[in-house]
Amino acid sequence: MFSTLLFMDPVLNFTVFQVCIYLELDLVITDMGTQNIIWNVCKKYLTIGLVGITLTDRYAGVCPIRGSSMSPTFNPSLGSFTDDYVFLEKFCLDKYKFSHGDVVIFSSPTNYKERCVKRIVAMEGDYISNVNGASKVPEGHCWVEGDNSASSFDSRSFGPIPIGLIHGRVTHVIWPPQRMRKVDRRIRQDGLAF
Amino acid sequence: MVYGSSMMPTLNLVGDVVLSEYISHRLGKVSPGDVVLIQSPENPKKTLTKRIVAMEDETVSFSVDPSDGDRSRTVVVPKGHVWIQGDNSYASHDSRHFGPIPYGLIQGKVRCRVWPLACAGSL
Repeated sequence: MFSTLLFMDPVLNFTVFQVCIYLELDLVITDMGTQNIIWNVCKKYLTIGLVGITLTDRYAGVCPIRGSSMSPTFNPSLGSFTDDYVFLEKFCLDKYKFSHGDVVIFSSPTNYKERCVKRIVAMEGDYISNVNGASKVPEGHCWVEGDNSASSFDSRSFGPIPIGLIHGRVTHVIWPPQRMRKVDRRIRQDGLAF
Repeated sequence: MVYGSSMMPTLNLVGDVVLSEYISHRLGKVSPGDVVLIQSPENPKKTLTKRIVAMEDETVSFSVDPSDGDRSRTVVVPKGHVWIQGDNSYASHDSRHFGPIPYGLIQGKVRCRVWPLACAGSL
């Protein structure tokens, strides 16, 4: 349990908690021969693990892309052996500043355990044309669509998503090596705004 | 620390400190009747404290404007969403205004109040 008096960020809380426990145990086991060596190795792995978790949760991470809803940007061919791995950054979550054309990873509104990757096509206040005429994207929401319109389950099905669901912005493709490059912000010219 | 009048009389206007945990919602152990912290769908930097009234695929009947007549509407909560309402129907901006919110916006579950000490205990 973490009190809201400490930090609002659970990972930072957990990290501080673990560091305190680790320092206390360090004081206790200081003169125990071979157990010292095992403890030293454990300490190293624990530190690396904690630092790794903190970094990937707050600053940046790597993520595999499955599916072809973002072809040709990611996974351009159906029969490829490996999925594309992308680098995503989480600094944008500080102020929630996104813009048109950003590729973002977000929790699916129909199933919170799934994550989807799509491109932001319209932000709050923009108008989107659909079969019922034009509708306005509400405040705090954004309209996301996949680059491969034919096979993409996106805002055309589940509507605009709250910006709070976004977990990070994709900046680069880092695997496979022949496809390593920066992911550009691309703004579609057709049917975007009135 | 929570503030605002939308959860009165359960939580006071200002100055209540509550203990909340950030694990239950990841395991899916959140159910109607729980007070939760959610990210506002209208402003992702704001955190709201509201009570869950219905989970996905349940029906909600609510009165459209509690201070003005008896009109009521019935809504089915779509898949992956929850319906939240503040305890104080007259002064709460919640799902009756912005609709059901995706489950992914839940940030934590409020367990109990720790301050002021006179009212400490579960909500």
